[in-house]
Amino acid sequence: MNIAQQLVNGIIIGHAYALVAIGWTLLLGAARLVNFGHGQIYMVSAFVAWWIMSMTGAPYVLAVVVAIAAGAVIGAIMQRLFLRLTLSQDLVNLMIATLGFGQILEGAAGLTFGPKPETLTSPLQAVTFDFGPVWFTAQDALAVGATILVFLGLHVVLNRTRFGAAVRMVAEDPPLVALYGIPISRVYISIFAFEGAAVALAATLIAPRTPILTSMGFEQVVMTFVVVVLGGIGSVGGSYVAGLLLGLFTAIFSALISPAYTTAAVFALLIAFMVLRPGKLAAGGNFAR
Amino acid sequence: MSARLQLRDLRVAYDRNLAVTIDHLAVEPGTLAAVIGANGAGKSTLINAIANWSRAAPRLSGEILIDGEAVGGKSADHLARRGVVLVPEGRGVFMGLTVEENLRAGLFAARAGGRAYSLADIYTLFPRLRERRSNLGGSLSGGERQMLAIGRALRMAPRLLLLDEPSIGLAPRLVSLLLETIRALADGGLTVFLVEQNVRAAIAVADSLYLLERGRVVASGDVAAMKDDPRIIEAYLGARN
Amino acid sequence: MNAHPTYFRILGTVALALLGFFLPRFLGGSSHVYDTLGTIASFSAMSYGLDIILSDLGEISLAHTAFFATGAYASAILSVDYGQGAWVAMAGAVLAALALALVLGLITLRTREFAFSLVTYAAAVVCMNIAANWDFLGGSDGIVGIPPLALTIGPLSFAASQPPQFWPFAYGLLLLTLYVVHRFRRSRLGQAALMVHMNPRLASMCGVDGNRVRLLVFLVSAPISALAGWLYAFQRAYVGTDLFDTYFLVLMLTGVILAGRRLLLGPLLGTALLVGQKSFFSLGAYGDKLVLGAVLVGVLCFCPKGLASLWPRAPGRALRQM
Repeated sequence: MNIAQQLVNGIIIGHAYALVAIGWTLLLGAARLVNFGHGQIYMVSAFVAWWIMSMTGAPYVLAVVVAIAAGAVIGAIMQRLFLRLTLSQDLVNLMIATLGFGQILEGAAGLTFGPKPETLTSPLQAVTFDFGPVWFTAQDALAVGATILVFLGLHVVLNRTRFGAAVRMVAEDPPLVALYGIPISRVYISIFAFEGAAVALAATLIAPRTPILTSMGFEQVVMTFVVVVLGGIGSVGGSYVAGLLLGLFTAIFSALISPAYTTAAVFALLIAFMVLRPGKLAAGGNFAR
Repeated sequence: MSARLQLRDLRVAYDRNLAVTIDHLAVEPGTLAAVIGANGAGKSTLINAIANWSRAAPRLSGEILIDGEAVGGKSADHLARRGVVLVPEGRGVFMGLTVEENLRAGLFAARAGGRAYSLADIYTLFPRLRERRSNLGGSLSGGERQMLAIGRALRMAPRLLLLDEPSIGLAPRLVSLLLETIRALADGGLTVFLVEQNVRAAIAVADSLYLLERGRVVASGDVAAMKDDPRIIEAYLGARN
Repeated sequence: MNAHPTYFRILGTVALALLGFFLPRFLGGSSHVYDTLGTIASFSAMSYGLDIILSDLGEISLAHTAFFATGAYASAILSVDYGQGAWVAMAGAVLAALALALVLGLITLRTREFAFSLVTYAAAVVCMNIAANWDFLGGSDGIVGIPPLALTIGPLSFAASQPPQFWPFAYGLLLLTLYVVHRFRRSRLGQAALMVHMNPRLASMCGVDGNRVRLLVFLVSAPISALAGWLYAFQRAYVGTDLFDTYFLVLMLTGVILAGRRLLLGPLLGTALLVGQKSFFSLGAYGDKLVLGAVLVGVLCFCPKGLASLWPRAPGRALRQM
């Protein structure tokens, strides 16, 4: 049992969790939208990247860029569809609608890409770094680095720019935003496109670790729920910390106790948290902090 | 020269209930018009209708003209960018943004048409805001919040400033200070359309008055002529108790 | 008002129920028709469990796949591992679902909106994990070899190994479910649930204990979906972790929303349309998924009150629905 390696694994997985969750965190904080189609956007983006590479022989980097664009477009389509529900803050219907949207993506991806498992190959996956008892791949390092950059970037944009202020305004009081002359649907479309693009980035960086399947959507992002909730709804910094802690928890739990029950353990943790501190779940409280 | 704001046959209805009926109303540029009336007379409904802003989405009919241009049906954010700037009743600022962020957040078009106040202008007008520039909107007192709301409206280069009950919840000394500032803005050429329940305060600063009762204008005219109108006095007394 | 309308109503209902029973025969009576209608009956019973949470309480429970699966698993274990009959399996399904609902209900008592949905979702994930890993529950292979459904009532006994023989059971369960939901909506609990949904503050001022109502509604709702699971286990002769599949969840939600909320026959019609499409006009597994999702999104985005709201209804009927 190599504790140091487990810690490294935990850090890598933790950053992956955080990166997958970031778009959703923003979406939940700013638009109060629980996106159950999040996992399917992840899946579609991974497949788009794979398809680009296997059809055109394009390099990995280009596939990443195309997949991010595809994710942003999917996000924008979601916004177009859900604008009315978002503006009226019909949260119950919105949540169900995102479930349906996820089904559409999954069905469409199945029809397009077929039922076979595929592999998204990144050249960085083959490059490994050995430091005595621990090792990791260049792909892992890239994922961790990208996560840190995305979180820092988002933090700066939200807190230091006028656009970020507009996002925080939308989160606080959507009708009032109009009186500041800001067209709210444009702010929403940016938020949705960011959600799509961010999860697409996550998919292209993390999916090379495992085979990809069109049915993987839900499982791949199951931890996102936990990260988003434990981090404090809509809190960017909180998501990062929650992702990291959760990564460490799962790595150590699966090494010491049982890999099969890791998800159940994490969700039991989530349930305990929500039951003990339901007040912490009010959205907008520490948004963007 | 046409009026800055003209309303013709304006009807505002919630479901099937007619809330406001205005046959004709005109506000000249550079003047301060005040709508007075009791609670529930339809004052807020009227001013929100002009800005096409409401949380309850009423049905509108009739004509709203700004400088002769019909703007009925234009979205609230479009109107705000074009210089029809509303300061709504109560919470008109963002609690989670600092004072300066609130003042910088507004978006307006070059065609907004009014005088664009710089950040420095706002701080000169309301020195208190400069002191609190990096405090969150949520930490301000009622008076400071109202100053901030008006300040951010001025930043949007308004042709027409719509103020909904700016005096509500403020101490009397603050009310007169705030209204004096608004009067000074009008003297500087700004067109102001003010809704006020505080009749005494409105009479003290307005050029023209409209008395609204159950959604209809029952008396209107220059302040000088209206001051001694028995209906105004009645409204005034009504507001006092 | 005289007594006649009520009379006619009862007669009409009985006639409709009889008509429904012979529906498979009108549709040709093939095994495929019986199978489809049996599936519609059990899936709409499953949807009704969710219906009273979604339509009356106004919350989205994502744990109803777990109740459905609990009913199915309890039946499978009792009949395969313990050789018990269908009645015992039924009681087991209901008790297991009640126990789970009690735990979940207490856990989610103070959560609302998306917090409620997330906790119920988390609970469903935990249940699925346990089912997939616990040998007692068959692990990832599930439990196979569930015997045909056989019920004994006094001297009479019914057995169903073919779809046509299965139909009376499925139809009976559907009628029972409809009756329960109908009674629930007219009961004090049903009225209280609606009050808690529409105006929680007013409800509490009227002396309605919101948390108690929520818990009780949960306890009414879970056995309904569990009974559907009981039936489905016998129908398929197999239970496995695929019972937790999102497909069932989306099917339930779409069924409830498609026709319109708080319509007694709404979930039945919705489920019938969806299962009918899958059974008679299937576009393949992916195509069906796409259709299901598109229907759900389409209804919510363009007609959020359901297809029935497009129907101009007589005011009298509309009022009665309220």
